[in-house]
Order: sequence, then C-alpha cells, then structure tokens
Amino acid sequence: MTHIELKNIRKEFGGSVVAVKNLNLSIEHGEFLVLVGPSGCGKTTTLRMIAGFEDPTTGEILVENDVINELEPAERNLGMVFQTHALFPHKTVSENIAFGPRMKKVNKEIINDKVKEVAEMVKITHLLEKLPAQCSGGESQRVAVARTLITDPSAFLLDEPLSSLDAKLRREMRAEVDRLHKELNKTFIYVTHDQEEAMTLADRIVVMDEGEIKQVGSPIDIYNNPNSYFVADFFGSPSMNLINGEIVNSEAGKVFKSLILNVDLPKLFENSAPGPVTLGIRPEQIGISSSGDIKKKIYLVEPLGKDTLLYFETVEERELIAIVESNSSYRSGDTVALNLLPEHIFLFDSSGKRILN
Amino acid sequence: MNRNLKRKLAQYGKYFALSIWALIVAFPIYWIVATSFKPDRDWFAWPPVYWSEEPTLNNYAVVWADHKEEYEGGTQYSHSMQKPWKALRNSLFISVISTFFAVGFGTILAYGVSRYQILSEGRMFQLLMLRMVPPIVIVAPLSLYYSTLHLLDTITGLVIIYSITTLPYSVWMIKSFIDELPLEIEQAAMILGASRLRTLWEIVFPLVRSGIVATFLFILILTWSEYLLALILSKTEVATLPVELSKYEGSVEGRVYGRQAALAVGVTLPLIAIGIFIRKHLARGFSFGMVKR
Repeated sequence: MTHIELKNIRKEFGGSVVAVKNLNLSIEHGEFLVLVGPSGCGKTTTLRMIAGFEDPTTGEILVENDVINELEPAERNLGMVFQTHALFPHKTVSENIAFGPRMKKVNKEIINDKVKEVAEMVKITHLLEKLPAQCSGGESQRVAVARTLITDPSAFLLDEPLSSLDAKLRREMRAEVDRLHKELNKTFIYVTHDQEEAMTLADRIVVMDEGEIKQVGSPIDIYNNPNSYFVADFFGSPSMNLINGEIVNSEAGKVFKSLILNVDLPKLFENSAPGPVTLGIRPEQIGISSSGDIKKKIYLVEPLGKDTLLYFETVEERELIAIVESNSSYRSGDTVALNLLPEHIFLFDSSGKRILN
Repeated sequence: MNRNLKRKLAQYGKYFALSIWALIVAFPIYWIVATSFKPDRDWFAWPPVYWSEEPTLNNYAVVWADHKEEYEGGTQYSHSMQKPWKALRNSLFISVISTFFAVGFGTILAYGVSRYQILSEGRMFQLLMLRMVPPIVIVAPLSLYYSTLHLLDTITGLVIIYSITTLPYSVWMIKSFIDELPLEIEQAAMILGASRLRTLWEIVFPLVRSGIVATFLFILILTWSEYLLALILSKTEVATLPVELSKYEGSVEGRVYGRQAALAVGVTLPLIAIGIFIRKHLARGFSFGMVKR
C-alpha cells in the first residue's frame, strides 16, 4: 500500500539553481527506502520537502493519498532525525524527549511513562537527567531517535543520521536503526551519501544525481545490474573497474579495445555498434592466474585482512583493481594474467547509459 | 637564540606593550577618582597632585548629598545646576527604556534577517551606516522637528532618538548570535509540534539569551553616556548625567573640578562594572559572526 507519494516534484532555489528535477516516487508502508547520491544530488532537499521545511516549486506530495503541500511540518505526523542531532542544548535528555508530547499537551504522567518507555527502547535510561553536551555522539543520536520515537510518527525521515559518528560506532548504530525499523514496522526514509549504508539498510534504494533519480531498486539489483556508468561507479567498495575504450569488429565477433587491455566480448554484445564505450567489471569478477592473454604488472598489494586488493599499472588515471583471497602470495612487481569473467562485463555508451543487447 | 626563548621574549614584549596601553587607558579614570577626593586647592595645583595628602569627601557631600558647604572662593552654583539625583533618575529612565525598545525591535528584526533574509546584505550595511552619520549632522534639523512636535526637553523625545540610533547595533549584534544557532534545532522543534512562536519562546530566546543580555548592556552603556543629542534636545527638565556633568565647567563658577569628578565617578563606575561583566560577550558580539567557534 502506498504511504508517501511524490508527484512531478521540482525544486528551484532562487530561480536559477534546480535542486530537484521532476521527481516521481512512491513509498510503501513499512518500507525502508534509502535516498543515496553524492552531495548536491538533491536527496536532502527531497527529504526536507517531505518534512515540510522546503516547499516544492511544482508538484505534489501525498501522504495516504492526501496532498500535504500546504501542511506545516508539525501537522504532517512525520518524525525527523537530523544529521547534527539538533538536540535542544538547554534542556535535559528527558526534557528533550518529552518536548514532542508536551507540545501536543499530553498529560504529564503519561509523558513521564512514555519517556521511560522510549528511553528503554534505545537504551538511554541512564542519560535522562544529563544535558546533551554531556552525551557522546552515539548517545546524542539515540536521544534524537528517542525524541522522534515518542511522537509515534507515521514515517521516520532520517537525514544522514550517522555521518557525524566514527566508523565503528556507525556500524553499531546502523544495526540499531535496522533493529528499530524491524521492531516498529514503520516507513523509514533515509538519506545518506554512503553507499555501504544504503546497501546494508535499504529495502529499496533510490540513487540520485543532479536532481534526478538515476535508478531505483533493491540493493542487490542495484549492485548487480547498474543501469548507468554513474550507478556502477557509485556502488561497491572498491568501486567497479571502468576502462575507456571502443568496440571494434573482428572475425571472432566484437572485441573491446583500449590502451589498458583488449578483451573478446561475450555473445550478449554481438549486435552492439562499434564505437567508443566504457567497459566495467567489478574487482571480484577478475580472475587471476599465471597464464592468459591479458598480462599485467602488480604495482601495489593492499591486504585488507579478509581479502587482498591488487592494483595494476594502467596508463589512465583510474586504477585497475582485483580482489584475491588474503592467503595468496602475490607481491608488487609480479606479472600475472587477468581473466575477466565474461558474464560480468558491463558496457556503457558515451552518454553513460548501459548497453544491453 | 632558541625558539623557546624567542617565543618567551615575544610573549613578554606583548604583555609589556599591553601594560603600557592599559596604563594610558586607565589613567583618566584614576585621575577622576583622585580628583574627586582632592580639596579645592589641589584641583589646579602645579606640579599636579597625584593623590592629595588631605583627601576629603567634601566633593561627594556637596554634589550627591544635600550638603551646604560651598566652594571656598564663595562662588555659588549656577542656577541652571541641579542636584544630580534628578539627572540620575532621568538618565536611568531614558537609557533603560530606549535600550528596551532598541533591543526588543532589534531582536525581532535580527531574527527576520537571520532566518528569512527580510533585509538584503546591502540594506544591513545601510543600517550600520546609520551609526556612521555624525550626530551633529542630524541634531540641528532634528531639534526643529522636535520643537514642532513638542518633543524638546521631554523623556519621550530622547527615548525615541536613542532607540532609533542604537537599533543598528542591536540588530547586528543579536543577528550574529542568532546566526550561530543551527537552523536544524528550530526545525526539530517545529516538526515535533511547536508553533513558530513557541519555537522562538522556548528554543531560540533561551539559547541566545546571553547574547541579548550583552547587547542590552552594551546599548545601555551607549545611551547612558550619550552627550551631544541630549545636550541639544533637552534643556533643563530632562538633563541627563552627561549633560549635567558639563555644567560644572561654566563661565560664572569657573572650573569646579573636584565636584565634577565626584559626579563623574558616579556616572562612570556603573559603566566600568558592566563593561567588565560583559567583556566576553562583547568580543563575540562584535565579531558579527565572522569568527566560527
């Protein structure tokens, strides 16, 4: 069932800057939707329009099939967690949490009970009498979540809530957010620029760039079937190898030629027109062996613990990377053969669109 | 010379220079205080008497208390002179009320400028330029207006002109405090159900309170010590303390330095106290938000 719907949303700032161009999106009840993209792609603006902090220049925002463009943020029954947590520094943690129901003139005793309840839910009972300044980053984030939780919103809007935390804490809180979503079974709309966060949390990912949606899909779908150079490049760590070259005809069929490597293209591409393209292949889809057509010299071996990354010399700026198991004994300076798994080769045309035929 | 020594020398040099400067700045204040305790004959003594050998409270008694002992030479007070209590009352009343207006309107304006850009940057500078107009330029036409409007020599008249002339400071200073407050905090309050007014009252004002207090005290100092406008726009009824001070230097009675100093101490001390109290806030307020914490 559709919960929140964006219809033909456009947002201009000052008449010249277009932050969001004709955006259409419907969000299901209970869905965990992640808006992801580089900074300036319009994802935060989109979230802020849903929250009611920005008015769309044109287009409609619907909640349960009702247009809510004219409603104030407070009237939309949405909860928002901000990047900076935005706790009220002059109020204690419990006053911060109680703020929402107090504004709605809920009975004091009921508020007290509810504050305890949500504090337990996010494990901050011991912080209730402290001031936000006395809380650590992770604790502040929990308080911010509790403050939103207590108002029982129909959907949670989260604007890069974890970006101010360090890596370890971020992983912890990520699991926490996931747990909350499962417990509450509410709609979550989550904005991030971190593709890893998007991959791990989302039911559905919306990839945005330059104010447009580039692709919508499940994390696996987006990872395995990127529809454009942009999406292919954005997802994955290390990111996909992308090599500029061209398709040429040969006796055996189509061949990809570039300054770095030449490779016979699989049958899939036999109808593709010759011309400039970009070949993409994920680092884990490159097999390494001692013999083969494509010989390359390793210039850097980067052990990551579980895996090891091999960097190969290229004439272009972009590195060519392969992932091997960490017990392999490659050393920089070694020359090895690369075997690009044909079914995992992507081709993108000069406009960045994926070639599929 | 090693680095540590160099750094230390630079440090001492800095403190030395600042100490000299502090002496220069503090000397007039010292002189006023010293003079206020001098008997008549020491006022003009040469070489100057830095601290009288027979300090007296006579000056204070004559000026502040209703003490009849007159100046040794027999000169009477000019009839335009009044006991300073009335002037003190006027000063207090006028400066507090006009500061209230300036800070009140200033806060509303500053919030609008900071959050809704109701004034462009150019307009904001124009507002500040208002302060750069020398009062002497406006005071002559103003006194004509005031005379027509029957505002001359009234408390209302001075309150109006003080409120207007100090408004730019008020807007600029308070804006810098509001600018430092993240917008997200207000938005968090609003999405939690607080109205705009409620957000202002419960979130914004408490968080910029120290800034507003600093601005209030700063403007209080300005209006408290304003002289030129008060001199022209008031005559006898509502003379403020700075105007009253000038009357101790008339052609009839000569220069009654001791008395003047005794009054001046009363005028200056509260300002110094306030200044020390708010000096941290002042530095922040005057950076106009250019220094990020």
